[in-house]
Amino acid sequence: MLRAAGLAKLQGYRQAGVNVRLAMGGVTLGLLILGVGLVSLSLGPVAIPVSHVASIVVAFLGIEGGEFSRTEQLVIEQIRLPRIVVGAAVGMALGVAGATMQGLFRNPMADPGIIGVSAGGAVGAVVAIATGTAGLFFLALPAFAFFGAMAAAFLVYGIAVVGGHFSMATLLLAGVAVNAFLGAVVSAIIILLPDNEALREVLFWLAGGLDSRSWEHVRISLPLVVGSAAVITLMARDLNLLMLGDDEARSMGVRVGFARTALLAAAALATGAAVAVSGVIGFVGLVTPHVLRLLLGPDHRVLIPMSAAGGAVFVILADTVARTIIQPAEFRVGVLTAFVGAPFFILLLIRNKRQAYSL
Amino acid sequence: MPLQRLQAVLATLLLLTGALHLACDTDSPQPAASAPSPASAVDVPPTMAPAPDASSASPSSASGVAQALQGVNGIVDPSNLEWPRQVVGLNGIVTIPAKPQRIITASVGHDETVLALTPAERLVAVGSATKSATFSNVPELVQDKPEITRDPETIIEQAPDVIVTSPFFPDEGIDALERVGIPVVQTELKHDPEARIDNILFIGYILGEEERAIRFAAELRARYEALVSVTGAASPQPRVLAVTQYSDTLWVAGDNSTEGGVILAAGGVNAAAAGGIEGNQTTNLEGVIAMAPEVIVIPQPIDFGANEFRQSLLDNPALAEVPAIKDDRVYVVESRRFTTLSFWNILGAEALAHLLWPDAFSDAPSPAFSPAE
Repeated sequence: MLRAAGLAKLQGYRQAGVNVRLAMGGVTLGLLILGVGLVSLSLGPVAIPVSHVASIVVAFLGIEGGEFSRTEQLVIEQIRLPRIVVGAAVGMALGVAGATMQGLFRNPMADPGIIGVSAGGAVGAVVAIATGTAGLFFLALPAFAFFGAMAAAFLVYGIAVVGGHFSMATLLLAGVAVNAFLGAVVSAIIILLPDNEALREVLFWLAGGLDSRSWEHVRISLPLVVGSAAVITLMARDLNLLMLGDDEARSMGVRVGFARTALLAAAALATGAAVAVSGVIGFVGLVTPHVLRLLLGPDHRVLIPMSAAGGAVFVILADTVARTIIQPAEFRVGVLTAFVGAPFFILLLIRNKRQAYSL
Repeated sequence: MPLQRLQAVLATLLLLTGALHLACDTDSPQPAASAPSPASAVDVPPTMAPAPDASSASPSSASGVAQALQGVNGIVDPSNLEWPRQVVGLNGIVTIPAKPQRIITASVGHDETVLALTPAERLVAVGSATKSATFSNVPELVQDKPEITRDPETIIEQAPDVIVTSPFFPDEGIDALERVGIPVVQTELKHDPEARIDNILFIGYILGEEERAIRFAAELRARYEALVSVTGAASPQPRVLAVTQYSDTLWVAGDNSTEGGVILAAGGVNAAAAGGIEGNQTTNLEGVIAMAPEVIVIPQPIDFGANEFRQSLLDNPALAEVPAIKDDRVYVVESRRFTTLSFWNILGAEALAHLLWPDAFSDAPSPAFSPAE
């Protein structure tokens, strides 16, 4: 009785700790998103005074007042804002999916692409471009990419449950094999492409970018990303327990098979939605959860929502740099995230290792 | 200046020019929802120069040929019109033992040049792009030819006497071809008309077709000069943006791009170059607004969604204040004339000049180039 009361009290303390970290992280990252979003809104090839940007944002929210031109308003509302929102959705998806994969695989090196989602999306997009389908209608390319991503995820998962027994090790190996196979498919299509224009399209899609994103892209990606992130957040406790091992999780009331499948499906869905509207943007799903885990601890009830916010900040920031650093020309976001993400990640690893040895 | 001397020779040759080669090859822009204003003035001088008569434009002596070739980049000794002859390519000094009868280039622009200088049968194989009507200006001449790739073996299989390549051909491929004893000359591809004429004379010398090259260079120069005499004097020069869209990515052509050379020859100001863009780079819709073009050309194949892209530009409310959009001066143009780097760009420049200065040009189609004998 006393022990149960003690445990309840301990859980209460833990929950309070989670709440504190959630609040602190949420406020910090929320302010960061707001700040980075406003900076991003204010920068671009068309010079728009910050005061006009603020007035346009306020007007967008339904509050009249302030000066701005019609062109400025259209640039903000139709070009920069949807792009920032898509960037936020992509970052959110990759951050959440990365945290989920790292938790499920109990491996900090796991990322959203580990179950073949990115490679499947790439194959779908490349097929759409190579066959000319991408030019037929607006949503063709995102649709192909999305279904490619989902098909790859199902294939990898299907291999992992052959014989009715799910194995994380098999899932990991199947992911490696399917990734390699799909990578070869993309290479083969590139080699066989008859013309340079299609080749250019493929290579640019593979490098990942947010150029020409519109509210349509927001509409097709944001609901899937938010829905998936919500499911994963609600299952964050299960994810925590799964990290202790299947038996422990089961003993704590987790339906292990269902929880793992649901988490994988939600992460795949989020990644597929991101890949469909941005191409392959690397390192966000790997770096963001890793950094936040170092700052906020491994509890997924904190880590998942914070990875969503952190991923959004990362991608918005990277995209802002990508579209302004050589304006009016544009850099590729995927290249930039790798340029920034990889050295940062390595620095972090080295620093972490030194701290560990110094203890 | 060697080119000035060449110009003097060519001017004399032009006086001897006889018949007009009226075109069967037109270069009007691809159909688009908004056609340019029809050319209304008939009292303006025609700007399309006639092609010089091949028989009368030939230099009269070896010394005349040597003089015309003097100063052409890459020719070691212009007075040597015998074989073997030596040239300097980007890959070093190359000796060509005899007049090549089996030629390969592995570049669309170079294929087009070879076909302008020699009978088509001497070009023994081509890449797939040269057969494509989307990218090549001569697809009908090469449909039956064997197809090569950048794999040296596919080229060696055709037993060429000489290979003229572009700077984009991989060095390893050149090494492999040279190792089996085939002379390979890697030549420059530049965007300005002067350098292109220089390149034609150089390739003509490599192929042993220097006289034809001199005549053809004169023909091209006359066309450029006729064009520039009108467009150079016209003002104000409009800001022209060459923009394409592949997937969702926008590409603009800035300084040192093929499209940029066409825009300048047509008398426009390259809006992307003015905005600091070098070569072909990606941009975004906001970049288009910032460049404020007065005319937009879309050198993108129809099969790749050019008309849809044009419509999307016109329909986008954010672009409504861009001068080209506001004035409905957005044109889909034939991509191969604007993007394939060869003398055929003159047709692109002539077509664009029609769009920019409709009153200064008649509606007569551009004349065809004189054929190689």
